Amino acid sequence: MSEITRQGLEPLRTIGNDTPRIDAIERVTGQAKYTRDWKLPGMLYGKVLRSPHPHARLLSIDTSEAEALPGVRAVITYENAQVVWGAGSVNGGRQYNDPAKAATIHRRYIFNNPVRFVGDSIAAVAATDRHIAEEAVSLIKVEYEELPFVLEPEEALQADAPKVYPEGNLCPDFRGEFAPMVSDIGDVEAGFAEADQIFEERYDTGFIHNAQMEPRCSLAHWQGDKLVLYTPSQGISNCRHDTARDLGLEDHQVQVIAKYMGGGFGNKNQNQDADLVAATLSKRAAAPVMLEYSRREDWLGVHGRWPTVQHYKIGVKDDGEVTAMQMLGYSGMGPYRKNSGGISGMDAYGCPNRYREISPVYTNRTTSGNFRAPSEPHGFYGIENMMDDVAYKIGMDPVEFTLRNMRRPTEERPFTNYSLDEVISTGAERFNWQARRKVVPGSDDGPIKRGAGFSFMMFRAGVGTSSAIVRVNANQEYTLYVGVTDIGPGAKTTMGMIAAEALDTELSNVEVVWGDTDRCPYSVGESGSRTTIMTGLAVVEAAKELKRQIADNGMPSGNDVLIGSATPTPTTDGKTRQCFGAHFVEIEVDTRVGSTKILKYTTVHESGRIINPTTARDQIRGATIQGIGQAIHEDLLYDPKSGQPLTPGYYRARHLTHKDIPDIDIHFIEVDDGYGPFGAKTAGESGIILAPAAVGNAVANAIGRRMRSMPITRDKILGAMA
Amino acid sequence: MRDKKRPGDQFTKGKDPAVKYADPKKQVLNVKQQSRRDFLEGSGAAVAAGAGISAFGITSARAQSQDNTVSETTPISVTVNGTQHSLDVQDRWTLAEVLRDQLDLTGTKIGCNRSECGACTVLMDGQPVYACSQLAVWADGASIQTVEGLAQNGELSPVQRAFVENNGPQCGFCTPGQLMTATALLASNPSPTSEEVKEALVGNLCRCSNYNAIVEAVVMAGEEGGLA
Repeated sequence: MSEITRQGLEPLRTIGNDTPRIDAIERVTGQAKYTRDWKLPGMLYGKVLRSPHPHARLLSIDTSEAEALPGVRAVITYENAQVVWGAGSVNGGRQYNDPAKAATIHRRYIFNNPVRFVGDSIAAVAATDRHIAEEAVSLIKVEYEELPFVLEPEEALQADAPKVYPEGNLCPDFRGEFAPMVSDIGDVEAGFAEADQIFEERYDTGFIHNAQMEPRCSLAHWQGDKLVLYTPSQGISNCRHDTARDLGLEDHQVQVIAKYMGGGFGNKNQNQDADLVAATLSKRAAAPVMLEYSRREDWLGVHGRWPTVQHYKIGVKDDGEVTAMQMLGYSGMGPYRKNSGGISGMDAYGCPNRYREISPVYTNRTTSGNFRAPSEPHGFYGIENMMDDVAYKIGMDPVEFTLRNMRRPTEERPFTNYSLDEVISTGAERFNWQARRKVVPGSDDGPIKRGAGFSFMMFRAGVGTSSAIVRVNANQEYTLYVGVTDIGPGAKTTMGMIAAEALDTELSNVEVVWGDTDRCPYSVGESGSRTTIMTGLAVVEAAKELKRQIADNGMPSGNDVLIGSATPTPTTDGKTRQCFGAHFVEIEVDTRVGSTKILKYTTVHESGRIINPTTARDQIRGATIQGIGQAIHEDLLYDPKSGQPLTPGYYRARHLTHKDIPDIDIHFIEVDDGYGPFGAKTAGESGIILAPAAVGNAVANAIGRRMRSMPITRDKILGAMA
Repeated sequence: MRDKKRPGDQFTKGKDPAVKYADPKKQVLNVKQQSRRDFLEGSGAAVAAGAGISAFGITSARAQSQDNTVSETTPISVTVNGTQHSLDVQDRWTLAEVLRDQLDLTGTKIGCNRSECGACTVLMDGQPVYACSQLAVWADGASIQTVEGLAQNGELSPVQRAFVENNGPQCGFCTPGQLMTATALLASNPSPTSEEVKEALVGNLCRCSNYNAIVEAVVMAGEEGGLA
């Protein structure tokens, strides 16, 4: 059993108490309605035709046989349905908006010619039955001219590499310039000159598919010139806005409904091509269309975490002071710039001389995009393995080395609070770090070796604008309107708990209305660990406004209601607001077969005040396990000769199952820094940031060989031992 | 009829000694895991690797229906959650499709449609099966239980109650499948250890990776009396 402990704050009336989800009954009885569970009268089924080639020009397409198949109602192709999917490719990989749309050089359409990866969309069919739609797709004849392709980011930047776009393979930045992303702090050359020793190493990390259990789908239904879209979206407001922009509609002409959704982890932000394809098919067929992606289509057609290459150079004095840090990174974005391609981690150190240059690169692999903490787990894996290696090489305990060099508040850059020292020391004590780590890595006798690893992080917990409405009737029953969707973390319950606390009432007395843009106000979306803080703050402010009205007018009577609403624009008074965490893991490696087994896993997190300990606990445990899977198993391998993906799907990517799961001890240090709703910070993404780094360090401590390529699969361990 | 059409029990989950030990090459700890491997190394992987290009748009339905006409139907009789249904099913329909599309029992989820994830797990004559990998015609004469059939007279079953109490669902998409396998486990082993729960549920993936909470909930349900 995992141990779950907390320290620092006492529970409030509602907040801080273990609370079952308000929709738990719906979730355990099969009553929760997910997108594919909706049925509308006359509904058709949609299916997409995708490229079997990594790079090809489409010379011709013949849909006559497909159209002749009984039951087929619409066939759309790259020739007759050129709809821009704005969020599918944006200059600089930034949030899609009007200026970004105008500036974007390499636009993505719902169907593309040339096709640029195995799985790129070409055409789609709507038919009376999903099997007929599948048959019709297989009857479409496409003539391809195969083009040369490139899979690896560093290779793609060579002068003679096949070009994904005529301008070359370095992605344009948000200004439209073909330049890497550079962060240059202090004087890195002077820092290296100060160093007693300089270490250089290359790390690489794989493509990790989000792999949420519910494959992408979308149900589009036109009512006159209004589009009703049932879709699993991690942000119904953004989805509505992006869809309206792409289809040339006003926001009020699009209604987005996302009641329940089967996960996303960043895969369902904004709108997706499925929404636009379903809408276009529905318009042509004059009927509602349910577009379904298969598991394989979802794996290859949506996106996953970008694969990276990271070249580090670290300068350090003999006493353990780091004087300079440099990283040259390459992120494989696939052929579209859906997100940033960031590689974070160096900024968790205080070293005054840091140079980072990241080249996001187009390739003919599947598209890369946001996955839970988009820039962090691979970056922290790289830098914290690099630094752990340096610590052992100069004879220091990595924990001491970290305490010496990690970023701390300064007079110029104050924090709202800073608890990283306490987080790390608490974790080291709970884990018994000194007893478990090998001072000499790989020093266990025999083929089965144990070792311990550690990682630390800080991650954004900033405040921002969102909206909420709360209503009270004459029975003193409250209704909370929030534009959240419940992707899994329990946003509805969290919002209800914050409202109940702020209104000083029972949670059972608050009805939460969610997941429908026609009924709920703007919310930031379930991405960037923002909902609890930002929409939570709006709930607090709306409740305050309602309480002011009640104080002025008394409780409503008869048929009257009172309504409070708020769209606050909070700030942190110029201070940096972060959540903090440290993970400690002990691993046993069987060096004869390269297998790894986790013996002990200790996590300590400071995520401000914990609203619902039950769901916060499982955010950390779940994210940690995802991180372990990323560390030792998951990847999307490609055949270099054919450009074909070899390991799409849960089985081939070797996702963790029940039997692979260790107990994970959770410890929350609770703090109220005076910002955020009742002091809450972020929890959703923090767990996954730490696991790959800690696991990598533990394997190195066990076997005495640094594993510089993630995932750390058995063959790589055997290779390192050979 | 069902016995003739069902291809042995290679997709059947659970601890049937006959299946577990019939073939010496299949002497593995878990039948489900072996089944997944068999399936992928058989039909699934062959489609992806055989042609040298990917299998988009090529489906088993297409292979079965060479003449492009509507697939033939077969009358079946199936009991679902205690109610008997007489249905004309297309030969290419899976059990999951019939449950969801014909009987409106959408609690059974389709996560992969190829025996990888277990979201579609239902009980067929008490044994957990992947409904995505059972043709509907094979269910002729069978008794099926889905997640909608767990609560009796408005009362949640012990394992459902434990899932509510211990946050068994995160996104909830794998939850129905986890619940069905757990229900079968508790029927044969009323107070399983956490190791036994992990063993039984190994064919039910959870990408929220809420595995610890799920195992804790099933153990809790066992401690509270299993299905009693």
